[in-house]
Amino acid sequence: MGQPDPALSSRPQRSQTLRRLAPGPLKALALGLWGIALLQSYLSERLDLLLRAVFHPLVWASGLLLLVLAAVELSGRWRDGSRTSGRWTSLLSIGAALAVLALPPRPSFAYLAANRQANLLEEPGLSFVLPPAQRSLTDWVRLLRSEPDPRLYAGDPVRISGFVLPIEGEEPHLARLLVRCCLVDAVPVGLPVRWPPDQPRPRTDQWLRLEGVMVTETIGGRQRSAVKASRVVPIPRPRQPLEP
Amino acid sequence: MVNADDLLLEQWRSLLDHRILDLRVMGMERLATTWALFQALLVEAMPFLLIGVALSSLARWISPGGQWVRDLPAHPLLGPLSGAALGFALPACECGNVPMARHLLVKGAPIATALGFLFAAPVLNPIVLASTWAAFPDQPWLLAARPLGAVLIAVALATLLRLLPDSQLLQPALLEERRLSQPLGELTLLERRSGLIGAPVSAAASAVVRSGRRPPLGQVLSHGGTEFLELALLLVMGCAIAALVQTLVPRQWLIAVGGAPTLSILSLMLLSLVVSVCSSVDAFLALGFAAQVTPGAVLAFLLLGPVMDLKLVGLFSILLRPRAILLTAGAASLVVLLIGQWVNLILL
Repeated sequence: MGQPDPALSSRPQRSQTLRRLAPGPLKALALGLWGIALLQSYLSERLDLLLRAVFHPLVWASGLLLLVLAAVELSGRWRDGSRTSGRWTSLLSIGAALAVLALPPRPSFAYLAANRQANLLEEPGLSFVLPPAQRSLTDWVRLLRSEPDPRLYAGDPVRISGFVLPIEGEEPHLARLLVRCCLVDAVPVGLPVRWPPDQPRPRTDQWLRLEGVMVTETIGGRQRSAVKASRVVPIPRPRQPLEP
Repeated sequence: MVNADDLLLEQWRSLLDHRILDLRVMGMERLATTWALFQALLVEAMPFLLIGVALSSLARWISPGGQWVRDLPAHPLLGPLSGAALGFALPACECGNVPMARHLLVKGAPIATALGFLFAAPVLNPIVLASTWAAFPDQPWLLAARPLGAVLIAVALATLLRLLPDSQLLQPALLEERRLSQPLGELTLLERRSGLIGAPVSAAASAVVRSGRRPPLGQVLSHGGTEFLELALLLVMGCAIAALVQTLVPRQWLIAVGGAPTLSILSLMLLSLVVSVCSSVDAFLALGFAAQVTPGAVLAFLLLGPVMDLKLVGLFSILLRPRAILLTAGAASLVVLLIGQWVNLILL
């Protein structure tokens, strides 16, 4: 029929430049960049921030497959004759993949936590209780939920790590994020802390290791357990900051 | 009456005040967290999308003519049911489902059957049922209610959407490709003209469709690449919307009303629309708040998410026209609400 493509006739100049870009290599570039973006997020350990480790193999395998698809496209022997693939689709994909590659995820855990309700996920694997000094923050929170009497733990030594989570009307807590699948479903768990008076207030989102003892405190007429910190050490964010 | 209205208005005003203020000070933290949530959603969904594209490519390679697709039953009830049952053969979650449903439609499957597959297969497949069982081993009713509910929703949606004429239901590009694989005798003259002459779809493609010859593997891969890029772009859009909504709306609003039967169902339905995680993992997410909400609400969360969520709206737009997507969202929500209410009536 020879009908002019409306997109081409309305913007003659820009589409001239666009037309010079062959669709095949563009498509190969788009596929390849998505593949590299997935592989890179695995290799650079960004994935540890985003997804639980169980799903990581899916991501790098997909990255490899996309690279294969890009190679098939680049070889140019098998042009896809049945569907017209738009240059814009490829260009926008290239833009999105480049953005994902260039801008690593830097979530604020405290911001994320403030936006979530603290639900505790039941962990069926936890059937025995570790000695106090070996319990992680998450272990402590689980224990306190199942057996909340604060008098049971008063005086127990505590060695935990986590990030600083500001709480309205209280001293900041030390917290962790629990994740079932990816960052989207993260829920915070935290412990109240009595910070050492001679040190500056901890910065939001800062990762810390605390040493101290469990004490009981009374908030709003109710007793609860809190950590009295004797030693506070700033640490880098752990490699796998999300806990199951 | 006046009081109730005033109250509602007041609530909205205070809500807007807070949100708008927050929007203005959309600080670096919020921006960075939204970006991270976007990447998490994208990285989680993209492999599943690729699995779906791989399955539809495989189907195209094994059965290029797609005769088996046209032999699927077109019966108004058996069609959706057999489409739903296809989920067991093609294990993919809801993002992987879209390319496969597109393949079915292009190859000329009865529309009700393809819709039944689109809506029910994300739940009716071994991976999703296994993960549901792993998350709720002590709730056998849920393991039965989830697939049953999914089939019910799929049949209801397929029946409803069939009331729309094809041209208002399916995207024009998809409809054109679909006509290529239908016998000429079934088309009116008008349809033949628009389908075979005006379209940019090449004659070579229609030759392949008609001859049923197996295309070279490389060509199938190249086709898969095109399909992936188109869907990936829609996925990017969906994930961006879902990530934005998640950081703008505090989660507490969504699950603060756990105890009230109807409100808890509505709030978890809203949550499933917003959170947009894959059906293969949403059971673990539901486990997180199962203790605080009514059982009907948990089921509603598990039923609505696979059929409709913010991330899917983008992907659906490659199959359905906007009106049909809206209709799907409305009808699915209504059916899920009714199922949830009914379950609460029995179990509470």
